[in-house]
Amino acid sequence: MTFLPVCERTKVRTSRSDADQGKHAHLIPLQLGDEPKGNSMKQIVNLKVNGVEDEKAVHTHHTLLEVLRSEYKLFGAREGCGIGMCGACTVLLDGQPMSSCILLAVLAEGKEITTIEGLSDPGKLHPIQQAFIDHNAFQCSYCTPGFILSTKSLLAENPDPTVEHVRAYLAGNLCRCGSYYKIQEAVLDAAARLRGEKQNPPLP
Amino acid sequence: MSLGEALSMLDAEERVSGRINYALNIEAPAMLVGKILRSPLPHARILRVDPSRAQKLAGIGAVLTRADFGSNTAYSGRYGRIFRDQTVVALDKARFVGDPVAAVAACDEDTALEALSLIDIDYEELPAVFDEAEALEPTAPLVHDPRPEQQPMFSKMIEDLPGGSNLCSHFKLRRGDIEQGFRQADVVFEDTFRSPAAQHVPLEPHVTVAQYARQKLTLWTSTQMPHAIRAQMAELLNLPLARVRVIVETLGGGFGSKGSLRLEPITAFLALKAQRPVKIVLSREEEFVTVCKHPATIRIKTGVMKDGTLVARQVDANFNTGAYSDIGPVVARNGGSAMSGPYRIPHVRIDSCAVWTNIVPAGALRGFGVPQAVWAYESQMDMIAERLGLDPLEFRRKNLLRDHDLFATGEELTDMHCHDLLDQAAASIDWSSDDVRWLNRNRTEPKRKTVRRGKGLAMVIKATITPSTSAAALKLNEDGSLNVLTSSVECGQGAKTVLAQIAADAMHMPVRRVSVSDPDTDLTPYDQQTSSSRTTYSMGGAIREAANDLKRQLLDCAADHLEASVSDLIIEDSKVVVRGTPQQSLSYGEITRLSNQANLFGRGAFTTRGGLDLQTGQGIGSVHWHQGAIGCEVEVDIETGKIKILRLTPCVFAGRVVNLRLCELQLEGCAIFGLGQALFEEMNYGEHGQLLNPNLSDYNVPSFADVPLTIDASALEHVGSEELHGIGETLLPPVMAAIGNAVYNAAGVRIQELPLTAEKILRQIHKQHSANDLPPGLREDKGEDQPKRR
Repeated sequence: MTFLPVCERTKVRTSRSDADQGKHAHLIPLQLGDEPKGNSMKQIVNLKVNGVEDEKAVHTHHTLLEVLRSEYKLFGAREGCGIGMCGACTVLLDGQPMSSCILLAVLAEGKEITTIEGLSDPGKLHPIQQAFIDHNAFQCSYCTPGFILSTKSLLAENPDPTVEHVRAYLAGNLCRCGSYYKIQEAVLDAAARLRGEKQNPPLP
Repeated sequence: MSLGEALSMLDAEERVSGRINYALNIEAPAMLVGKILRSPLPHARILRVDPSRAQKLAGIGAVLTRADFGSNTAYSGRYGRIFRDQTVVALDKARFVGDPVAAVAACDEDTALEALSLIDIDYEELPAVFDEAEALEPTAPLVHDPRPEQQPMFSKMIEDLPGGSNLCSHFKLRRGDIEQGFRQADVVFEDTFRSPAAQHVPLEPHVTVAQYARQKLTLWTSTQMPHAIRAQMAELLNLPLARVRVIVETLGGGFGSKGSLRLEPITAFLALKAQRPVKIVLSREEEFVTVCKHPATIRIKTGVMKDGTLVARQVDANFNTGAYSDIGPVVARNGGSAMSGPYRIPHVRIDSCAVWTNIVPAGALRGFGVPQAVWAYESQMDMIAERLGLDPLEFRRKNLLRDHDLFATGEELTDMHCHDLLDQAAASIDWSSDDVRWLNRNRTEPKRKTVRRGKGLAMVIKATITPSTSAAALKLNEDGSLNVLTSSVECGQGAKTVLAQIAADAMHMPVRRVSVSDPDTDLTPYDQQTSSSRTTYSMGGAIREAANDLKRQLLDCAADHLEASVSDLIIEDSKVVVRGTPQQSLSYGEITRLSNQANLFGRGAFTTRGGLDLQTGQGIGSVHWHQGAIGCEVEVDIETGKIKILRLTPCVFAGRVVNLRLCELQLEGCAIFGLGQALFEEMNYGEHGQLLNPNLSDYNVPSFADVPLTIDASALEHVGSEELHGIGETLLPPVMAAIGNAVYNAAGVRIQELPLTAEKILRQIHKQHSANDLPPGLREDKGEDQPKRR
């Protein structure tokens, strides 16, 4: 998460009385994140990303999202809001969807981390991905990996969800383009495919 | 035929696997991270900027301050689409909370943030003004003084005005005789409506990577207008166009926010100073202070006969364009010229102004001024219908524009489908006159249930930017496959897929043998911009022209080798065939190889003409008019004020649908975008001009929990027509009024200031019940709760 940086040493000359001076405290809308971090701590952690276990030296204040993108070059998880509200950075942690933008990387130690890149073997598509393609369940697709991973978790918990289940479960993932109807169709279709009730149609 | 096929996007596999590239993923060797220091004050003179402590920090590549611009340097640092009112970093004053005052480039984000904290700035706070009406008072502090210089290319579109005021632009439309119109009218109604600032919230933030290498500035940037960015950056940096290269990857949503210069100037100057590539990615909080939808106050006075015939309309609209004008004057003009709506009104007088204030700069947002306009005029249409005791459906039908009618701009209209669209919208929500609160006096409110249902309708007519120019090139390869070279930006609307379908259709070849380029101003031909719902129509038109050029070359070349005359040749199925002797044919690949050119190039340009007179607003406002209607059904809980949307039915005139699936996505997307602005989207400012909710926790956008179970979208096609209509924005503007009208029919509550929050509804329900024992909606006093001034 980054904050709107505002100079700590901002000096304000004002015609207001001293009594009004205190108001400037809330004139500064957002404070600097933390104290300078240039010489912050690094820690060796054991991360298991997409099935591969590895030791990484990570800054203790860096999020899992930052580490996945900068250390692993896995770009499928993306920051949308930085505060765990939009779901664009969703990864699976031991199968559970998690906003990687608000989880410190060091806290992911020992967990199975699955990103969109680890959902299927290279060159292959998971049935959920195929259903998203067949329904064109996206527009800009910035949110799509997050939706697909949340869907994976939903269908693991409930292989035969109703449309209400789907909508409630995915309410934490935002699609600003508004592809929700194609997404709900794709999720129900993917569920049917995973239950073996429907074959993947051949690729065009 | 590839036209009309409901294909999934051609790059769908990359999209679902997370592999698709956004500017966010771009990394250059030795790249630095850029960060921006922003003003904590809404209006302040900058007395001193001291970057010395930041410059001493290890890992700093450059610190950019006002000392890098001005008379002692080669750069003015001033830019702007219409007025040169914006600066790379603040030069003399900061004009809103969040205005960039300095920037750094450093080896990593942490170092950059630390450097920002080491820049010392002294401000002298100045009086500030936030409200558009207050900004026009003679005593208001001036946001820009002297008046900024206007770009010459806009002199025919935006009138230059005298200085000494916060009035940025003033669009005028004069048709008929407004005084005579009001005299002629049986009744005249005057109402005021307000729309607040709202955010685009593309999930991908603004991102720019700038690199100087080989005498050239290269920008990888999240923009909807690569050529306009190139032109403005060349001007800022005193470089020829050929030495600025803009490359655009797919965007993670734009919605208008990624037009105009955003991060490009600050990133490019950091890169120039550091002599290293620099990347800036905005945080969500910074997104909120970068650009937004114009807050607007619209006073609308309509004269009407007792039978419901519209006679006259006068509109005074103020669009709050914030600290910098960006494209605001054109937004005010576009919203202004739309204020007569899709109705025949003989006497029209419109004054639509853009006003500078000390809040976040406003720019283009999906709908471009028309959402604010439609919120006003379609809410008022229902209010007038009630006062006259008319069915709002019939009242609209009576006045809707038809073919050969003149629009308020004086231009003759063709291809009008408003009646069909309105009827479709009404039918799709099973509208009947029993749904009209004031016509159904026998209506019995359920005594115990607190939930009321209601339906509403609204319509829109919207211009597409005119005049405009798009160019395309088609490169036919030696295997007969086709590259489409275009500068249209893929924002998620499916431009690449749709343009591939248009090219494949025009060239009589399969879509899978067509590849559409990403925009790269070094390689792809000029396109004005990806906005205004113009890509399918304008770039599609350019591609069709280029295909005609390419087909002429194919026929000429094939005629030589087949020893036939061109008139005996036909093109079908990726081949040129001699009519009547199908065995005599040459494939595209064969012709390309026989041409001895290795490639065949087709070139095409598509230009529309028009424009409005500066004093009267008369002329050609749009090459064709986008039309739509929407129906809505809501539930209002009168104990909590909470609105639930049950049905939304966007209906658009689409000309010829190119891709039904992508068309549905655009219509559903418009409806949901509008739903957010109708129910909860609002940027809230504190008393000192500071934004209070610049994050997705305090500023909500629609999720699955907010949208109805289905959206029943329909596209009206003109059978037999090959004309393509853009559909990316048309159905956003009427959503808010349709919901507002439905809420009134449900609960008898008329809100004139967006958004329609539960608090506002509940407050008015309480007010009405305490004032009168009659059920809401059956009383005579109307038009209360005028928008509040801030």
